Amino acid sequence: MSAAIKVADRVPDVEEHPESIWDKAFYKFRNDRAGMLGLGIVLVYFIAALGVWFGVWGGEWSDVEGPKWGSMSAEHWFGTNIIGQDIFQRNLYSTKTAFEIGLIVAVLSTILGALLGAVAGFFSGTWIDAIVLWMMGVLDSIPFYLFVAAVAFALQGNPWAMHVAMVSTFWTTTGRLVRGEVIKLKNFEFVEASRAIGVPQITIIFRHIVPNTFHILLVQATIVFVAAIKSEVILSFLGLGVHDGVSWGLMISESTLEVLAGFFNNFIWASVFLFVLVMAFNMFSDALQDALDPKKVAES
Amino acid sequence: MDVIKFAIRKLIGGIPLILGVTFISFILMVYFGPDMTFEMLGKNPTPEQIAEVRTELGYDRPFLTRYTEYLRELATLDFGLSDSSGEPVSDMLLRSIPISIALVTPGFILGNLLGVLLALVAAYHRSGWIDKAIMGFSVVGMSISFLIVIIAFQILLSSSYGLNLFPVRGWNVHSFYDYVMYVTVPTLAAVFVALGYNTRFYRAVIVEEMTRDHVRTARAFGIGPRKLLYKHILKNAAIPIITRIMFSIPLVIVSGSLLIESYFGIPGVGKVTFDAITSGDQPVLKAVVGLTAVLFVITLLVTDILYRAVDPRVSLK
Repeated sequence: MSAAIKVADRVPDVEEHPESIWDKAFYKFRNDRAGMLGLGIVLVYFIAALGVWFGVWGGEWSDVEGPKWGSMSAEHWFGTNIIGQDIFQRNLYSTKTAFEIGLIVAVLSTILGALLGAVAGFFSGTWIDAIVLWMMGVLDSIPFYLFVAAVAFALQGNPWAMHVAMVSTFWTTTGRLVRGEVIKLKNFEFVEASRAIGVPQITIIFRHIVPNTFHILLVQATIVFVAAIKSEVILSFLGLGVHDGVSWGLMISESTLEVLAGFFNNFIWASVFLFVLVMAFNMFSDALQDALDPKKVAES
Repeated sequence: MDVIKFAIRKLIGGIPLILGVTFISFILMVYFGPDMTFEMLGKNPTPEQIAEVRTELGYDRPFLTRYTEYLRELATLDFGLSDSSGEPVSDMLLRSIPISIALVTPGFILGNLLGVLLALVAAYHRSGWIDKAIMGFSVVGMSISFLIVIIAFQILLSSSYGLNLFPVRGWNVHSFYDYVMYVTVPTLAAVFVALGYNTRFYRAVIVEEMTRDHVRTARAFGIGPRKLLYKHILKNAAIPIITRIMFSIPLVIVSGSLLIESYFGIPGVGKVTFDAITSGDQPVLKAVVGLTAVLFVITLLVTDILYRAVDPRVSLK
């Protein structure tokens, strides 16, 4: 009996499920164990970040209350750092910092990539396309760290300099992918039909064409999220990243001194927290890609 | 002859890119960049001294004059004197670029070679446990930050908490033995990180080629696995592989070595760039950005010629 119900659960009901890429993707994603595990872990981190955001926990990240290099104890779960700050609290706060950077950079660079990529693709072969392609080429050929440093100079140490630099370089990949897809889509009959009944070009691009690239945008956003978190670590280490608060990059950066003295708590816990989040996000992103790949959806 | 004509056309086509890169970085780094005037002056400078230093640094000239001056410097490869050390920038680059190349090359070659090999093994055992193990390893490699890998390898291999086999940091190379000692830990770290991304990319490319109809047909005709691999799979997969390798070259030389060199204190071009970033040394930054852009254009050109070499269908028109 229960076996029969299980089987019935697993077979997608054609009547209830219209032939939409999203329904199939959702069904496929739900059956991807690694992807679901990744999503679960990301959600746990997200809740931790929200808790810090609303002031539920993580507020004591900057208090100097423990001993220097205290070991792991009930009071300080992961021990304390060189000046006696609680490493667990700092990890919680860094989770918030990472989500802030990841979300801001992912959302903004995806929007920018979608806008410019769609316009370039729709007007492919014209001067508009040429300018957007030229911008992508230029931004891709400036060394990333130099670009961040240059933006930081230009914004005179503004704490958002790192975000600005990431958004203005990370959109290019999304832009290229969207451009390619739009060039394909703009010759479809539904575009021709809407043109025939006199729909304005802007409406055609953003109401009719761009929504058909959402599967690319979603996957790209997750990839950019991971890239932003990983870049933050290196930029903060180089002194070009986070200046207010604490982040995993700053924690690892300060831990290089402690490591030389033989105290590994700060380094290990910051690394583990960072690694688990990035790994989970990568698993989630992979499963999403598998689920949303039109070729693979067609096969299943 | 065709190749030369093509090369000239490509180089001319690259000019807008070079102009764009130099212009954007010039605006950001020089025009909006840090004002070095007061760092070069003593205490309580007189207005005449201030004016003198500003003339020396070129701050008093109009924007376009300074930009065309920069382009002239780039064309003649003469970037003037470094603001912080007073040394000619071209000398600094000539000294540091060979060190960077010596540092990066082994890791770059090993990272790509092992990447292709692992990808082949994974693709050959597709969906088997070997494939899953290799792909799992590559996701792990992709998820660990480069910085963590560097620190961890340093602890494990060259500190008294680990094996203590190699020098902790620096670059004191007088013989091949020294070179091996100093290059090993950075190389291992670089290979570890590169393998994650490379294996995944190369596996995707190879699997795509393996599942093509012509490969199936060739197999049905009884072509041996070795010939199938070299002639039918790798030769077709060459274009994406070449693209990836070639395009990572310009960035590997500057960005890739920036972190390694500043962490290990190796005086390569990445370290020079990093010091220039922290001290606001504009002549050096201008030189590095400009040269990277030129390198990019040359890479684009060489890549196109390589396409032609591996695939005769590609025309150099």
